Amino acid sequence: MSATTLTVTVPRVPVGDTFDAAINWLRANFEPVFDFVGMVIDLCVETLFHLFAMTSATQFTLIAAAVVGGALLVRRHRVPTLVAVAVWAGFYVAELAGGLVATAISSLPAPLFLWAMNLFGSSYVYPPLVLALLLLAALVAIAFAVGRDRRLWIIAAVSPVVLLAVLALHFIAGVQLSLLVAPLLVLLALFVAGWRVALFSALGFLLIISMEKWDNAMSSLALILVATVVAVAVSLPIGILAAQNDRVSAVVKPVLDFMQTLPAFVYLLPAIAFFSIGTVPGVIATVIFAMPPGVRLTELGIRQVDKELVEAGEAFGAPDSQILRRIQLPLALATIMAGVNQIIMLSLSMVVIAGMVGAGGLGNDVYTGIAQGNVPVGFEGGIAVVVLAIFLDRLTGAVTRFSPAARAQRAAA
Amino acid sequence: MPAVRADKLYKIFGRRPGKAVDLLADGRHRDEIKHLNVTAAVIDVSFEVQPGEIFVVMGLSGSGKSTLIRMLNGLLPPTAGTVEVDGTDITALPKAGLRKLRSEKISMVFQHFALFPHRTVLDNAAYGLEVRGVAKDERHAKAREALALVGLEGWEAKVPGQLSGGMQQRVGLARALAADTDIILMDEAFSALDPLIRRDMQSQLLELQARLGKTIIFITHDLNEAMRLGDRICVLRDGRVAQIGTAEEILNDPANDYVAQFVEDVDRTRVLTASSVMEAPIPVIDPDKGPRAALRTMRDNQTVSAFVVRRNRQLVGAVREDVIGAAVRDNVKELDSLIDTDLARVHPDTPVADLFGQAAESPYPLAVVDDADRFVGVIPRVTLLAALAPTTGSDTGADSGTGAEPAADGGTAPAGAPPAAPPPDGPPAPEAAADTATDTAAEGSR
Repeated sequence: MSATTLTVTVPRVPVGDTFDAAINWLRANFEPVFDFVGMVIDLCVETLFHLFAMTSATQFTLIAAAVVGGALLVRRHRVPTLVAVAVWAGFYVAELAGGLVATAISSLPAPLFLWAMNLFGSSYVYPPLVLALLLLAALVAIAFAVGRDRRLWIIAAVSPVVLLAVLALHFIAGVQLSLLVAPLLVLLALFVAGWRVALFSALGFLLIISMEKWDNAMSSLALILVATVVAVAVSLPIGILAAQNDRVSAVVKPVLDFMQTLPAFVYLLPAIAFFSIGTVPGVIATVIFAMPPGVRLTELGIRQVDKELVEAGEAFGAPDSQILRRIQLPLALATIMAGVNQIIMLSLSMVVIAGMVGAGGLGNDVYTGIAQGNVPVGFEGGIAVVVLAIFLDRLTGAVTRFSPAARAQRAAA
Repeated sequence: MPAVRADKLYKIFGRRPGKAVDLLADGRHRDEIKHLNVTAAVIDVSFEVQPGEIFVVMGLSGSGKSTLIRMLNGLLPPTAGTVEVDGTDITALPKAGLRKLRSEKISMVFQHFALFPHRTVLDNAAYGLEVRGVAKDERHAKAREALALVGLEGWEAKVPGQLSGGMQQRVGLARALAADTDIILMDEAFSALDPLIRRDMQSQLLELQARLGKTIIFITHDLNEAMRLGDRICVLRDGRVAQIGTAEEILNDPANDYVAQFVEDVDRTRVLTASSVMEAPIPVIDPDKGPRAALRTMRDNQTVSAFVVRRNRQLVGAVREDVIGAAVRDNVKELDSLIDTDLARVHPDTPVADLFGQAAESPYPLAVVDDADRFVGVIPRVTLLAALAPTTGSDTGADSGTGAEPAADGGTAPAGAPPAAPPPDGPPAPEAAADTATDTAAEGSR
């Protein structure tokens, strides 16, 4: 009794092997490119982390200068502000290249600096700090000279005072940095999103600090911000192209579907292959995972702009680029910002996976918690992620309020 | 040179438009070429618009009027045919040239206003100049002027969302005016407004047009609006031109049943004017003659009243037979004291609708007196009633128009708007209407 077998031999398609071969080929031929990208991302994340978690006096000063400068720019005092910044940048480059400022300082009479050195207990004058202080002074002077606006004056007066208070508290009184940076973030939330969000942020950040997760949270925040900036920078142009061209849209859509449905862990394979372990593959995997909503919502936002408005632009002879910049993008901004918001949220959800490849931060805590069965560490890491998520979500959600379209809508209501 | 000239324009949407054009040029209906999987929106449309004219394109939805207007400024490229603006063939222009033409020669007003919600009213009005690269101060000054023209001073800093529909469309109009182009396209500009505001806007448009002398191409689906605004009207049906002519030509001499059906419901009293229904003033009496001669004239003509007119056609007044009869019996020699000078006088351009009140109060027929104060015709009450009857089946003669007056009321239409020659395959020429004018009103007015 011989049974005929119905087994059909299906040829094995070497999908995985091909993919692997492709990665190897890319690595072999484009290694310098990947190295360069990896280096830039790493540098950015490092810098941001230092800014948040190991803020130097120079950075504090530059932040204060940025606040005053931003207020000046918003009120359209462009020329003096940009001149001041350009002069500062010139001196900074000269200092980096040839120690110009250091030479200048050493040629000045010592008593000018000695009191400050004694106060901060430092043994030498740090030239970039001097430059930053001069920039801040210049911007404050400009604000009082050209500004007609009382709010501008208040900002220009309060910024240096806050700066001095922070510097004194940290470098002289020895208050921990986390207790100083957190209030600054709360202040930001207060201005952008109102007092409720500020109150929540204050409580949330205190919780993070008391859980001793502040440095890890800042590390994750740096990673998320870099990933977000990269994802926005990539997804915005793609979204615009897709909105303007149906063929691009038809190609992009399935690719986005693929990116969103492929399990996030799978991204890690090529990311590790190209960038080995550490922060960079975490950022890359996060970018790929978080990008699709950015593209989709940009396309949707631009396509949703009333056709008649675009036609009106055309009817008055506006070129396409102008229609994009002055009509489509401003009106699509709310939708695009919803996309940015989604990018940030998805980045946060990738933090844990990024932690698996050694990106550090809160993800690392959660991963440790899982790997070692250490519930307290894992849970605390998770809670910190949630606090960060809510803070960033409310902040980006509120930024839309400042767009001209939103302002017009409020005026009309 | 016409401001805008369309020559055998076709717009076919679909894959193989060339073949469709050939078939349609042979005279097939657009439903007959459905198998080609194309949509014929505009078929063989030709017309000329003269500078300073209000040219109305009228048709129901789906008749291709919006497609047509978008071909006039190159927003849509025609499938076949040419569009000339000031003598330039815009279908041959490259993209940049087309943009320049739009920003310098043709502006547009949209059905749903198409104002930029994120810009202030002032910035909206200044948009055309902004695109052209005019400096901020200058364009804002011009935009303010344009906003003042449409009666929106003091609203410059608002955003469109804070304005009512009518005001928003005024901003739309100001945007087109500020761009300072000679030609303005208006795509169903007033259709989204409620009736009262629509009337206001129509009046304002006529007023502005009389003042600024722009060439306006106005799209509408509302026949009353077309009749009120248009120096000439082009009726579109299924993408083809059904008739081009003045409001009165279309009303009194429809080219086909479709147009006839269309105009059936028109409020004729708003379209017809005093000059188109008035009759020759017979008899008239010279003021230098005596009462006896006047009485004889009236009895000869079997009327109970007559107008007293000087040799230079200056209207003095009117006399009644019973008054004169009594005077003759009393042997009065002078006519002067018997003349009733308190008469209802109307202008030739007054719409018939506005005549009823005066006609009811006056014991005499209405006297039609032109700008130079000359007596040009009379309107007895019975003539007014006859004017209300549609042309079909009536031969009262009173309602056949003079064929020379634009229907715009209030005398705001420019006197020089010439009726352009109709296209080769177009509707009957104005002479046709004149031929049918059997009454003596036209002669009487010359």
